[in-house]
Amino acid sequence: MATATAEIRALAAILDELDYYRVLEVDVRAPVSEIRAAYHRAGRRFHPDGHRDLAPDLRPDLTRIAKRVTEAYSVLRDPRRRRVYDQQLTANAERVRMPLADASAEADRQSRERREGRTPNGRRYFMLAQADLARGDRVAAERNLRTALTFEPDNANFKELLAGLRGKR
Amino acid sequence: MASAIGIDLGTSNSCVAIARRGRVEVLANRWDEPITASVVHFAAGGEVAVGNQAKTQAIHDPDRTVTAAKRLMGRYFFSEEVKKAKAICSYKIVEGPNHSVRVKVGDQAYAVPEISALVLREMKEVAEQRLGHPVTQAVITVPAYFNDNQRQATRDAGRIAGLEVLRLLNEPTAAALAYGFGKGLTQRVAVYDLGGGTFDISILEIGSDVFEVLSTCGDTYLGGEDFDDRVIDLLAERFQAQHKVNLRKDRFALERLKAAAETAKKALSMDEAATIRIENVVQDAAGTPLHLEHTLSRSEFAALVGDLVQRTFKVCDEALQQANLTVRDLDGVILVGGPTRLPLVHDAVAQYFQREPKTDVDPDQVVAMGAAIHAAALVGEEQETHLLDVTPLSLRIGVAGGLAETIIERNTPVPIEQTSVFTTFKDFQQSVRIRVYQGESRRADENELLGEFEFSGFKNARRGEVRIEVTFEIDTDGIVNVTAREPETGQAASTRIHLSSGLSEDEIKSLIDRHQPSAPPVVPPLSAAAALVESVVERAEASAPPTATNEVADAASAGDASEEEAALQAMAAAEAEFDAADFERDPAPLDGPADAEFDLDLTTDVSGGSLDTPGGAGEIELDEADLDSLAALSADEVAGGPVGDEPAEGTTMRRSRSDDEMFGAPGSDLSIFGDAEDDEI
Ligand SMILES: Nc1ncnc2c1ncn2[C@@H]1O[C@H](COP(=O)(O)OP(=O)(O)O)[C@@H](O)[C@H]1O
Ligand SMILES: [Mg+2]
Repeated sequence: MATATAEIRALAAILDELDYYRVLEVDVRAPVSEIRAAYHRAGRRFHPDGHRDLAPDLRPDLTRIAKRVTEAYSVLRDPRRRRVYDQQLTANAERVRMPLADASAEADRQSRERREGRTPNGRRYFMLAQADLARGDRVAAERNLRTALTFEPDNANFKELLAGLRGKR
Repeated sequence: MASAIGIDLGTSNSCVAIARRGRVEVLANRWDEPITASVVHFAAGGEVAVGNQAKTQAIHDPDRTVTAAKRLMGRYFFSEEVKKAKAICSYKIVEGPNHSVRVKVGDQAYAVPEISALVLREMKEVAEQRLGHPVTQAVITVPAYFNDNQRQATRDAGRIAGLEVLRLLNEPTAAALAYGFGKGLTQRVAVYDLGGGTFDISILEIGSDVFEVLSTCGDTYLGGEDFDDRVIDLLAERFQAQHKVNLRKDRFALERLKAAAETAKKALSMDEAATIRIENVVQDAAGTPLHLEHTLSRSEFAALVGDLVQRTFKVCDEALQQANLTVRDLDGVILVGGPTRLPLVHDAVAQYFQREPKTDVDPDQVVAMGAAIHAAALVGEEQETHLLDVTPLSLRIGVAGGLAETIIERNTPVPIEQTSVFTTFKDFQQSVRIRVYQGESRRADENELLGEFEFSGFKNARRGEVRIEVTFEIDTDGIVNVTAREPETGQAASTRIHLSSGLSEDEIKSLIDRHQPSAPPVVPPLSAAAALVESVVERAEASAPPTATNEVADAASAGDASEEEAALQAMAAAEAEFDAADFERDPAPLDGPADAEFDLDLTTDVSGGSLDTPGGAGEIELDEADLDSLAALSADEVAGGPVGDEPAEGTTMRRSRSDDEMFGAPGSDLSIFGDAEDDEI
């Protein structure tokens, strides 16, 4: 399916203003299956393998669109990256792009924080509890987890772990 | 009529196909073989032969017969892969300029892409012969796991062969395309491609016209030839124990051993056991001829290569994990490559994937067929197919401390582009050196260096005041481009990251000229059987090397095996002295990259390095207070000398913090490595 020259030209002109959802033409709430379908659709329209009749001066535009499409897909198909991206968009709707490497590092950091705590003390007592558990000292682990929760009362992972320890007792 | 062909340029075998009028045809060579051995024989008289006929020359004329050149494509001379090849190849591998690899035949040194170009040209001629008209355009396949250096070398080979390379296509993707084309399927499949020298696994989602690669992993040094090697080891060890003669030391014996091992291995695809007999393989000290005989059973073979087969599944685990899938999520597994004909491999694959592999595609031809389908689509003779592929390896940039920071992760779809902003590390710094790597290690030297370039001419300013945008691009062929730009002055440096040891544009041009066929290659289509036979005879005569080898050819044509043996012995004896000396003269392999050129300064980048190393051996747990104090370090302090380390002498740029507020993550100062001498420029 050849994409009309006008369409490529128009899209290239506004590309830098479009967020990833607009690039892929999907709803912000779209599930991954829809994101994938949208990527395939965009692939048919903009993959550089197509369009052999395209005017040479439009090649760079087409390639630029294709690259942005894969970038959008790389972020939106990955739930962790997508979460970070959504936060970014909420904070500043103008920031429509996000470096992939930073996005995954940030997603890693966030998931580590969720797991291990986001405050220094929360993390410290969580680590101590882990060490207790490794030694098999459940009583100490429980004490340290309770302490960790005083710093981060809403940490779901801490709570779950503590509930597990109590259940076993 | 413009027709574009698809070429599967394999380590062991190559295959060419064309798609036209809705059909895909494999084009057989003049011996009616659908596949052609990727072997080049350089006769002493100057005649060059490619294919099975060249392969048989390996036994007679080992040092003028180049096999498995693909294993050397895009490799540095000091690499492990080249060392391994040197150990098992009977032709001479020498060092060329800039740590490149050259194959030396007689007194002529060939660049590796030049050897591959000869194979490609042969495939081009096979196609021209069958089609009856010239062919200029082709899609060439490469192992999915090939890095940028290997891909560029393949492109160069295509050009030297006189082909316009429309596209480099990943072999498993091509196989999936041939499998799914025109079937209107919607499936998730794994393509398990075990070839002569490489292993690839790709997981794809295939639809009616879109083929999306979900992940790909591989091993560019694992294949059927490694199986042969195990058999050779066994035979050589037993022979040594029995006769106290090391067959591996005798090039002629070794080549015959290789041929016998491969034949036996292939026989095990059909039979329970294979008998290996090599009469007169060497003579003992007293001149008595010695014979080798061994019966290889399937179970003995399985014990020899079991670990190699298991190694492929480690790679499969990785690919599935990268795609976030388990074997249960797949609808099928497609087998590609000669060794998948072995029941041992077939059964292991069936067990791993918990299903019978698809058998409706020919494992030797499916890759070329896929390439042909895509070639036809690209020139508009077939319905468009959309291949959405990924990059197999993470793209990295060298930073201070001998580290390499990820810019684009492996299995990211291509084409893709990423821009990172860096800044200078020193006052009035004149230039920065940018090194680009591919691989999965945080340590720069454990990755493949793709190339480096220097960026200079930006504004004269204090450290941290220059913004340098580095843009990394991977195109649909998996080839990497890197450009640097200083937005303020508009100063730009742009380079296609070119393998430091690769061929320069001028070298490629002169090779194109050198290999230009003198007469136009148009040949009438082969049809009459008589013509076929005639050409076989012609070729055999033309390529038989003069001198001693003629005797061999004559003996062979007379069908007298014992005479052939005698001639071989005579030839071996005559050349033995010379050969031995020749072997010794082979330059000793380098232990590694020359320090001055590749070794990275070990400057510790405290702020970035320790934070970004999840689970690393020396990971330091930093708490909020640590983070805050790190964040409080001014750029000057960081630049002046990382805590507990010498001043960063070779460090020239650091990662700009422009993105920090976005994440609130302090400490992302990563520095690009640069040479100290850059500062003096
Ligand atoms: N019937 C067979 N049984 C076992 N191995 C085979 C068989 N046929 C070919 N091979 C082996 O397959 C390898 C070549 O496979 P191929 O797919 O042609 O590799 P490549 O694509 O790398 O050239 C060689 O090692 C060859 O010995
Ligand atoms: Mg192959």
